[in-house]
Amino acid sequence: MTEILRTGASGRTSFASLTGSGQLVLGVLLVALCLGISAAAPQFYSEANIIAILRQCALVLIVASGMTMLIIAAEVDLSVGASLAFVGCVGMAVLNATDSLALGLVSALAFAGAVGLVNGIVVTLLRVNSLIGTIGTMMMLQGGVYLFTREAVQNHHQLASFTALGAGYWGPLPIPVIFAVAIFALCAVTLRFTTIGRYLYAVGANERAVRLSGIRSARLKLAAFVVTGLCVGVAGLILASLMNAGQPTAGRGFELTVIAAVILGGTSLTGGSGSLFGTLLGVLVLKVIDNGIIILGWNQDLQMVVPGIIIILASYFDLLRSRHHA
Amino acid sequence: MHDDPTLFSDGAAPAIDIGVPALELRGIGKRFPGVLALENVDLTLEPGKVHALMGENGAGKSTLIKILAGVYQRDAGTMRIHGRDVAIRSPRDSLRQGIKVVFQEIALINEFSVAENIFLEGHPTDRLGSIDWRKIRTGCAELFERIGFAIDPMARTGSLPVSQQQMVEIARALAHQASIVVMDEPTSSLTPKEVKLLFTIIRRLTALGIAVLYVSHKLDEVFEIADTVTVLRDGRHISTRPIGSHTDDSLIQDMIGRRIVDLFPRQRGAAGSRVALSVRGLSTTHKLSDISFEARAGEVVGFFGLMGAGRTELAKAIVGYDPISAGAITVDGRTLAPHNTAVGVGLGIGLLSEDRKVEGLMGELPMYQNASLASLGRFARHGFVDAGRERQAVQGFVDRFRIKTPSLTQKVKNLSGGNQQKVLIARWLMRGLKVIVVDEPTRGIDVGAKSEIFSLIDELAGAGLAVVMMTSEMPELLGLSDRIVVLAEGRITATMSRQDATQEMILNAAIGAKGRTSHEFRH
Repeated sequence: MTEILRTGASGRTSFASLTGSGQLVLGVLLVALCLGISAAAPQFYSEANIIAILRQCALVLIVASGMTMLIIAAEVDLSVGASLAFVGCVGMAVLNATDSLALGLVSALAFAGAVGLVNGIVVTLLRVNSLIGTIGTMMMLQGGVYLFTREAVQNHHQLASFTALGAGYWGPLPIPVIFAVAIFALCAVTLRFTTIGRYLYAVGANERAVRLSGIRSARLKLAAFVVTGLCVGVAGLILASLMNAGQPTAGRGFELTVIAAVILGGTSLTGGSGSLFGTLLGVLVLKVIDNGIIILGWNQDLQMVVPGIIIILASYFDLLRSRHHA
Repeated sequence: MHDDPTLFSDGAAPAIDIGVPALELRGIGKRFPGVLALENVDLTLEPGKVHALMGENGAGKSTLIKILAGVYQRDAGTMRIHGRDVAIRSPRDSLRQGIKVVFQEIALINEFSVAENIFLEGHPTDRLGSIDWRKIRTGCAELFERIGFAIDPMARTGSLPVSQQQMVEIARALAHQASIVVMDEPTSSLTPKEVKLLFTIIRRLTALGIAVLYVSHKLDEVFEIADTVTVLRDGRHISTRPIGSHTDDSLIQDMIGRRIVDLFPRQRGAAGSRVALSVRGLSTTHKLSDISFEARAGEVVGFFGLMGAGRTELAKAIVGYDPISAGAITVDGRTLAPHNTAVGVGLGIGLLSEDRKVEGLMGELPMYQNASLASLGRFARHGFVDAGRERQAVQGFVDRFRIKTPSLTQKVKNLSGGNQQKVLIARWLMRGLKVIVVDEPTRGIDVGAKSEIFSLIDELAGAGLAVVMMTSEMPELLGLSDRIVVLAEGRITATMSRQDATQEMILNAAIGAKGRTSHEFRH
């Protein structure tokens, strides 16, 4: 009488297998998409197209890696798109002024990290809801970049090493993909195996419990914001390199793509659950759809419409699944 | 439903058969996962009478009210209203059967006028089907006049004091032609003057033939207003007697039960002499003032107080979770400064919260991660968690505390209340504390698991921890404490050793201060 488990038979379903089954569905969807598009348009699986898809994925995955950590900790950063554009302009301007690749990179990263720090302070110290707070910084950055420069900051020195950042290859793989894989792996290991990762899940699951356990949850969240900011820094530099300029108009709507990929990958907006592997699948699915629409010659406006539908359906199926198991 | 405006003008009382009970409950039972909230409870309300329902926290009063209100469905028993068998499956059913429950939390729409709130369930309409505002205004004014309310029907409801909002709720009962009115702790936010007014209104209701169920734990009110008293304890019916046959003592006796002390045999030895926790002159801006006490290693200091006495506030302030405005807390001679939980846990003081779900559990995370949260650093090398060692340590506690879980990876929200509490105690024991503050450690836990939690707390003290226990339950207090401190209105009103303490002394100290400050209790 005293020890009643609220779930009967489903009580045996472990945490790991619950998150796993959602990823399985996503994996199957990804394979089905690839097969379907390939059947209709064989050029889909050409080497050049696959490289193009991977390069497309790289930018999103880099920022989504940080964003996954943030959303697991039950916070979100909507300023990443605006920051992405600004970072490129700052990096390019410093590069032009100093002719030093190192200074350009460091200043861009420092700027991006500072944006993350400001977001973190707004959320942890001022206790502004992160959705609202980062919309605020997003607006500041969107306006601020035009105060900084009215038009694109062109690459004056044409340093080869800077161009390589976006367009270069390491073996068969584009450099951005290498960066993405490295950052992805770093974040995945942190989330999965370190105390910091475990605390991030814990803060997302119940911040009060974490605070009562003597863990400084505010610092942890601050760190997650800064890491997300730094990820934007790397992505912003790669984007500037690809465009060979700092574009103040770049990155519009980028934050939505990133958050969509994270949510599609099964990370809960309420915090406490999710995985980077899911985010990877989410990024791949979104970018394969993007690519497929182009390859199949469909109207490009569908690039926004289809992911929108996919996200609603994915969230719906996720709800069904969790209801079934709860 | 209320398109007939005549009910407000003819002044008729609800139709009532004299001699037939307004409400008859027989053998009502209600079970929640892991908890038997009500078992075989009988209750009979007579028309035109006030029936008081009393009991300690957790006795089952609110469950019973919620069954009447249609919020919960009963699992067993029968319900008759004016002699007819009824089933109440929703709040709507409850209203339709003539039951009006006035909850502590007032359910009015603040932005609406008083008159609109009165007619919330069915606005009168004119021939064209649009809302007849004139009827709403006049209907409400007539109703207020009849029952003697001096409230402006056009006032914005949110601008009224709580006492008047409560009266609006009661007026709604009349607008619905309710024949049974249930009031849940109606005086908890009223001034003595407003209480008098409320009683006048209750007498008017009974004069109309309405049956009133008055839920309270305040003795003086019950003696003043009730005709009959039913006492519940641990979800069971204990007694139903006319108020005239009760004394303060007999009512308290019924509410608490007897010989509870023996239920929890103490295993540990005497407390040590080393002071583990010292609190000096602690005050907070809202509740606590000048709290000073000490707890020695191996000692259980039990804090008792009625609702709102400041137990939880004290618990959270001591561990550094809530800010303090004055005073000092020292753990093993070291001062808790700066005042936060990171420092607190570092010094060895932690809180087992009264609200497991909101402040303790990470429901969606596996059970083992819940247990190891506070001590994760111990299982890590260079920041990497050694999952093998972690799980092994948790498994040790699962075996030692007999935590019933299908696996270490089970989501903790799927465990029963008792097992969840054991997981949270394990969280602190893995960390290794010197002082543990436990706030209502057995809230929401059924009787069987309660005694296990008791023996765990006994064990904690036996292992040399100082235990500060906040409780509103007498058996817990008397069964576990070495020393008893009574809180009332944020102050310490009595300190006594367990040997010297009697339930009457404790209750008097808990109630007495209240009487002095707000004149709520007669003596």
